[in-house]
Amino acid sequence: MPSAILICKARKLMDISRSKPPSDASFAMSDEADQNGLALYVQPASVIDALEREVELRDFVENAAVAMHWVGEDGTILWANRAELTLLGYSREEYVGHSILEFHLDGPVIEDILRRLKSNEELNAYESRLRCRDGSIRDVSIHSNVYRKEGRFVHTRCVTLDITERKKTFELQNRFAAIVESSDDAIISKDLDGIIRSWNRGAERIVGYRAEEIVGKHISTLAAPDKLDEIPNIIDRLRRGERVEDYQTKRRTKDGRVLTVSLTVSPIRDSAGTIIGASKVARDITERERQEQLLREANLALTRSNEDLQQFAYSASHDLQEPLRVVSLYGELLQKTFGGKLGPKGDEYIGYTIQGALRMERLLSDLRAYTKASMPGKHATEEIDAGEILDKTLVNLRHVIDESEASITRTDLPGLRLHEFQIEQLFQNLIGNAIRYRSSVPPRIHVAAALRGTEWLFSVQDNGIGIDLQYKEQIFGLFKRLHSNSEYPGSGMGLAICERIVQRIGGRIWVESEPGRGSTFYFTTPRN
Amino acid sequence: MELVREALAEHGIQGELIVLSDGESAIQFVHYLDAQSGKCPDLLILDLNLPKRSGREVLECLRQSAACGASPVLVLSSSDAPEDRADAARLGATRYLRKPSRLHEFMSLGAIFKTMLGSATH
Repeated sequence: MPSAILICKARKLMDISRSKPPSDASFAMSDEADQNGLALYVQPASVIDALEREVELRDFVENAAVAMHWVGEDGTILWANRAELTLLGYSREEYVGHSILEFHLDGPVIEDILRRLKSNEELNAYESRLRCRDGSIRDVSIHSNVYRKEGRFVHTRCVTLDITERKKTFELQNRFAAIVESSDDAIISKDLDGIIRSWNRGAERIVGYRAEEIVGKHISTLAAPDKLDEIPNIIDRLRRGERVEDYQTKRRTKDGRVLTVSLTVSPIRDSAGTIIGASKVARDITERERQEQLLREANLALTRSNEDLQQFAYSASHDLQEPLRVVSLYGELLQKTFGGKLGPKGDEYIGYTIQGALRMERLLSDLRAYTKASMPGKHATEEIDAGEILDKTLVNLRHVIDESEASITRTDLPGLRLHEFQIEQLFQNLIGNAIRYRSSVPPRIHVAAALRGTEWLFSVQDNGIGIDLQYKEQIFGLFKRLHSNSEYPGSGMGLAICERIVQRIGGRIWVESEPGRGSTFYFTTPRN
Repeated sequence: MELVREALAEHGIQGELIVLSDGESAIQFVHYLDAQSGKCPDLLILDLNLPKRSGREVLECLRQSAACGASPVLVLSSSDAPEDRADAARLGATRYLRKPSRLHEFMSLGAIFKTMLGSATH
């Protein structure tokens, strides 16, 4: 095709343009024009059109939003468009002219790509990983084939699609799907008409239907016959956007068994926020419920047997007291009537009989107090004045107080919402002990109460023999004694009774002591 | 009961002591008195824990009886339970005492018997 290239100074352009061109020619300004001159192609119109198309085409591939490049037969990158450079972050110089192998993360992959292309294969969505300039990795999908001229490999025509995000989403979806699939719970979804849309393996295991049997069926297929009316109610709540949490109900399995399940049903929304269905997690709690029932029954049986035992201990100690009273009373009557007539041994033996019977009576009375303290009684509703109870206790103890010349002081004592016998037993045992375990000097005992937050802290302090602190837990045990009965008489139940009472009212009891200097017993009671 | 007899004797209380060994015979005795329009004893001492019929039943029967409805009744029980005291009071017992374990305490009951007998005769 005839063509002429005129190069002239800019000033002369006007002259040329003013001259009439040949009828089959048109003018085109070359993009190689510079400020000093102008290249003017004078070509036939068809040639000019072709040139324009090439420019457009080149612009299209250069600026297209899809990454493209050419690679030579030896793997050298011959050309890459802007999108490709932008995708990977390299400048043209850092990319073009380099081997494509430098940018692929997996050597064997790019080698395979080149091998396939050389053997004329066309690659479609071949996945690979490319290294970006900033060190990050992009997952790509490569579409490529080879441009050949006269059978010779000229370059590849390669389109690189960035699938990093898609792949991440896909992996996340896979992970979620795997979680759903591997869950022991039944996880199913349904639409707002109640049609089951998905069904995991947990659901298959629990309910028995396989996904292909149940997907597309109505959710009421699963309801136990007497629970059918729940379904519309649940769906209504979902429509309102409510979540149904830990809802216990019954469901029917494929083979007709009825299971107890705990349901959590949440609305599913589309991207616009419209509720389109529900996800439902159902946990089979049949076994758990059975275990709970067994536990409840065992607990009830235990409570009952405990109560029976306490009742038994209470009644036994009560009924045992009666014949014992006969022994002690008639022992005394015997002593009174025949004392001195049976000889010294006779008097001594009668004395032992009476003492033994009286001691046994004391034990039974303490045992009764202990079982009474342990029995689950009603809570006291009225407040009673601890000070008044202390007065009463001191009257009960007046013999031992007088005998030991004990002096007892006190702070103001509060009103407590407890049963009288509870406070009385606490004072009686703690003060009784303070007197019993006295040193060689007369006992000085101080009873105090102080408010500590939400509870009253009571203390009973003495100047007695004290307690080796290695026994500070042991002394609260039933029948636990640190002394023989001949040294210090006692049933070994006093502190056990106190501990029981304090435990029943939700308080604590403990001792602080220094052997030889005295002990302080503390107990707490809730402040009403 | 021998001890009651002793306590009565110790306080110089003279008279007949009728001992009934269970609740059933006590109730029959009261019915017998009512039927015969007999005179009720001057003091009735009652345990709550009795064989056959309970002390509560006897107490009820006593209070409904024409012969014994107004006689003083002393309940002498080994129980110290507030419910038992309350029950006895509700059913019309004149007094409630816990059975003492010591002889001297038992003997001092005689003084109470005497007081109750005194209030009955006046």
